[in-house]
Amino acid sequence: MSNIITLPAGTSAEPLMAVRGLSVAITGTTGERQLLSDIDLTVNARSVLGIIGESGSGKTILSRALVNWVRQPLKVTSGTVRYGGLDLLTLPEAEMARLRGREIAYIGANPTSALDPTVPVGHQILEKLRTVSPQLSREAAHKRVIDTLDAVRIPSPAQRFDEYPFQFSGGMMQRALIVDALVSNPKLLIADNITQPLDVTVAAQILRLLRDLQKDFDTAVVFISSSLGIVSEIADDLIVLDRGRIVEHSPVSDLLHKPQHAYSRELIAKVPKLWSLGGTIPQPSSGEVVLDVRDVEKTYEVRDRKAIFAHRKVKAVRGVSFTVRRGENFGIIGESGCGKSTLSRLLSCLEAPNSGQILFEGQDIASLRGADLLALRRRFQLLLQDPYNAIAAHCSIGRTIAEPLLIHGLGNRNEIETKVKAVMTEVGLPETLYDQLPVGLSAGQRQRVNIARALVLEPELLILDETLSALDQVEQAKLLDLFETLQARRGITYVYISHDLAMVRRVCARIAVMYLGRIVELADNETMFERSAHPYTRALLSAVPTVEHKPYRMETYLLEGEPPDPIDIPPGCSFRTRCPFAFDRCAIDDPVRGADIGVNTSACHLRADSLPPADAASPSNGAPA
Amino acid sequence: MAFAIEFFLRRIGQGLVIVLLVAFVIFTLLRIVPGDPIRIILGPMTPASVLEETARNLGLRDPILVQFGRFVTQVASGDLGRSFIRGVQGGSTGGSQDSAGFDPESRASVAELIGTALPYSLQLAALGIVFTLLVSVPLGLAAGLRSGRWPDRLGLYVSSFLVSLPNIWVGVVLIFLLSAKTGLLPAIGYKGFAYTIIPAMVLAIELSPVLIRAISVSVAANLGETYFDVGLVRGLSRRAMIARHVLRNAAVPLFNLFGAQMIGMLLGGLFVVEYIFSYPGLGMLTINAVFQRDFPIIQAVAILASGVLVAINMLVDFASTTIDRRLKF
Amino acid sequence: MNSSTAQATLPKSSQPTRGRGVTARILRRAWSYTEMRVAASVFLALALLTMLGPFIIDASATKMNVTDKFLPPLFMEGGKLPHFLGTDQLGRDLLLRSLIGLRNAFAIGVVSVIGMFVIGCAIGIYAGYRGGWVDVILMRLTDVQMSIPVVILAITILGMSRPSPASVIAVLILASWPVYARVSRGVTLSERQKEYVRAAKILGASDLRIMVRHIAPNILPPIAFVAVLDIARMMIFEAIFGFIGIGIQPPTPTFGTIISSGTQYLLNAWWITIVPGVLLALALSSLNLMGGVLERARNQILQGGA
Repeated sequence: MSNIITLPAGTSAEPLMAVRGLSVAITGTTGERQLLSDIDLTVNARSVLGIIGESGSGKTILSRALVNWVRQPLKVTSGTVRYGGLDLLTLPEAEMARLRGREIAYIGANPTSALDPTVPVGHQILEKLRTVSPQLSREAAHKRVIDTLDAVRIPSPAQRFDEYPFQFSGGMMQRALIVDALVSNPKLLIADNITQPLDVTVAAQILRLLRDLQKDFDTAVVFISSSLGIVSEIADDLIVLDRGRIVEHSPVSDLLHKPQHAYSRELIAKVPKLWSLGGTIPQPSSGEVVLDVRDVEKTYEVRDRKAIFAHRKVKAVRGVSFTVRRGENFGIIGESGCGKSTLSRLLSCLEAPNSGQILFEGQDIASLRGADLLALRRRFQLLLQDPYNAIAAHCSIGRTIAEPLLIHGLGNRNEIETKVKAVMTEVGLPETLYDQLPVGLSAGQRQRVNIARALVLEPELLILDETLSALDQVEQAKLLDLFETLQARRGITYVYISHDLAMVRRVCARIAVMYLGRIVELADNETMFERSAHPYTRALLSAVPTVEHKPYRMETYLLEGEPPDPIDIPPGCSFRTRCPFAFDRCAIDDPVRGADIGVNTSACHLRADSLPPADAASPSNGAPA
Repeated sequence: MAFAIEFFLRRIGQGLVIVLLVAFVIFTLLRIVPGDPIRIILGPMTPASVLEETARNLGLRDPILVQFGRFVTQVASGDLGRSFIRGVQGGSTGGSQDSAGFDPESRASVAELIGTALPYSLQLAALGIVFTLLVSVPLGLAAGLRSGRWPDRLGLYVSSFLVSLPNIWVGVVLIFLLSAKTGLLPAIGYKGFAYTIIPAMVLAIELSPVLIRAISVSVAANLGETYFDVGLVRGLSRRAMIARHVLRNAAVPLFNLFGAQMIGMLLGGLFVVEYIFSYPGLGMLTINAVFQRDFPIIQAVAILASGVLVAINMLVDFASTTIDRRLKF
Repeated sequence: MNSSTAQATLPKSSQPTRGRGVTARILRRAWSYTEMRVAASVFLALALLTMLGPFIIDASATKMNVTDKFLPPLFMEGGKLPHFLGTDQLGRDLLLRSLIGLRNAFAIGVVSVIGMFVIGCAIGIYAGYRGGWVDVILMRLTDVQMSIPVVILAITILGMSRPSPASVIAVLILASWPVYARVSRGVTLSERQKEYVRAAKILGASDLRIMVRHIAPNILPPIAFVAVLDIARMMIFEAIFGFIGIGIQPPTPTFGTIISSGTQYLLNAWWITIVPGVLLALALSSLNLMGGVLERARNQILQGGA
């Protein structure tokens, strides 16, 4: 790797940090394994250096090595990390401690576990500030923390100062950690995958915030991410990391448009695409209605800490209605807390709704008990997200797949074995796995075991609750193909519940967007992605980290703040607190979505044509008709 | 504030129910296990008719629920009743054998008997806890902070060894070594504070291993938490992280251990140790009462013991929820 | 996948697995400790000695023998074969009596721990899985049970009835099941939320089937490791009961009765008390060390350590 790095214009030639020949290995019972090899990189003052790599590329290890946070069983085998004339890797612990927090700050991917859970967030930031700047008076430090909390747009910072980490959402916590990092005015900020656990609209806010603050505070940033779409939004220069080696280093626009290395091209190809797909868009089916959900509500009670013997109601699902037709792929999308997991529990009969009906082929499933419910379960299956926890480690694969047949008492030993083996072949699992334990299986294979277990009952409707979220792109594509084949062969109807817009775009004919327990928009695939009628849908689409041309600009639809607490839902339109287009009527009048049989509906007072027009797609992307 | 009020209202309510149930369990047990107290009160030579009459007078032939109801109303009015056996003068155990009948007025009040014995037990328990803390806190902290290295191993050995020593045997050995053989400390009975030392050592040997292990596990687990490493990277010193955050977090499971296990162990240990050393506390009183079928004393002590357990558990849970606001109650 | 930062630095083999995979890993990890191997050897040696003892030492040694009473151990002046560790006030061989006591105590310990484990975990899993008022009632019941100190319960029941091995075991189970109920209930509460339980429900499995076939195999092995420590604890209780005189009655040798009878002769024949105690402490130390290492290995594995 060359040491000659093209500097963006305007930055000084004196690098802030220079890494040379850095190698890190893991020591284990089987000897040493190299995780980072011969890393060279330079961070210039006031610039943003992006590092992109997939999981397992060593990017977290690299980011930690930059602050000399390398612990057993990891070990630096060679190289230097020079900062201000010092080699951080050989610096005594005490001197390193003096640099940390003052000169170099670090933010990780796991905001919720980064602070002591038993001490209020503000107090911990104050503690850090007072440690790194002992000359500040208590009052001055306190004021500075509150001011900085305000600067990252945390609402009512004085009150938030005394709240505990568990009272912060992931996005709020990440903001607080940005405050914690920047409050002492560091020269360098290492941000390791900080948007990874966040929803796309929140991630977009954080990204925007970090970009603004980086300019205000004159901080250099090393921004590590696994999403090319995100890192390209913020970085000046990009480093591509593959299996512990730097394979390419160039300015962002060069990398996106003229990638040099094969792996960079592969990375770009893997970025999810919503608008430049090619192929046909799934079309709604005109079959009979299989699933008819009518005005379903679900409320949970939680204990109120602020009043005696009081409970507060969490409105998780608030009047959801939709219909699914046979042979159709129906998508339900939304961000965390929108009520889609509650809806999934209701749909799969794990809980009953407080009101409303869920009709499966005309029969209300909420009222079913005993044998009727058991019979329904055969025709109505749900696939879950986590391929590791959904199947037992102590049962052989054949036994796992046979479990539903045993539960339902279908067939004798031989029949069951034949059936299980047939279904294993159908989902692409070799029969030789029949007697094996699932120990060595990959995530994709485990998910196939899961699928086989559901299919062995020959269901008519499959609900896929984030089923493919844990899988990588390639594996995901293979399973989507499998679902398609199964649909053609068995006429199964699918309901996809997901936060993954790219996947829904690819497979779902009709899509419902949920926000705060409601469906705010329900439309066919094409309308949803090209001419969506609800501002929230547009915000969601604008925030998806892609590297293609988007019809909705992030700047136009950037949302403020976070969704309201489902305990205190504001009157009027529940989206108005974050809506960039809210007007007077929204505060009083709750917009209703019309009946949805075969029509596209949206819960907004604004007509779609009074929203800003979608950017014309460039001809090369060719909006499919 | 609202939280604290609701917490205590709820827990005191639950606690009263628990104490009531414990009282009922013990009350019933005493009346269904074999052994008629009347025979012991009146002596083996008493004619059956006198036995029956006394039993009826004492209400021991009524249905258990009726007896229990009477007992509860009595306790609620602040009266724990009178001993079956012990005289007003206290002291003598054997029980006066009064073949003409039984006069409750000549018997000692249970409340007074407990009042006399309780301070001795409290003194012994307090000294035992002090000894326990002196041994386990340094050793447990050292083991937890140096997880995987020699202080950790030492902690494991010491706790595995101490927990393997039956308190009865430790008691006898210490009497032999420190008292009988060398005369360093007095042992049997009670004639001054020095008589508390060896029994307290026995208690400490019983309690320390549990605490050593719990402290080291809890501290080591917190050192492994992300917030600890992140704290160092944020610029805080290791010492500050341990003093202000690790110890604070490590205390939560320790509080629970103290409430759920240690206090129960301490009470049990107290009984056995007092018995070994003829130490005039509650344990001695109770064990003698059991052998003499002295129901009123056993009932009162059981209620007292469960009341103490319930109260300490309540305080301990309140402390944990105050430290860690995520906990529910 | 939202891998935690800790996981991100670890090799992929630390993927969460459950069931037998974990059991095997815990055992393997525990065996890698020297302490585990030493403790297991000591324990095995004692077990062999207990079984073979009566053949090596003349069986008549358990009989009373007035001429050989108060014999000191062999290493002291006046010791005499075959009484390696001396004799008691009735001339009975101390080593043999201790070994028999050890065997009885161990049998009581194992049986009572199995009993409290089975009863406690069954109740705990049921309470944790069902939740709601069933849970509240069962857990308050454990509160009640735990609010009665073991020794009070034991002396009340055993002190008043005629103690037998069965009643000692019953009392130990009665006094200790709530601990298991609480632990297993706590784990079940979090386990109930996991995807495999949801998956089983959706497949149509009955609640009983989910508890027995799905939850129990996952949560019980780690609890069982810690139960080893309780065997030692129960053996100590057995000794205490014997000492107070509410345990298994003489002439069956138990540690409690041997020690308590020896206290009268402490000044001139201390070995009657000390020797059996040392043997018991040795046996229990080996058990406790094994339990401690198993607990440690379990914590390391479950907390996702490499």
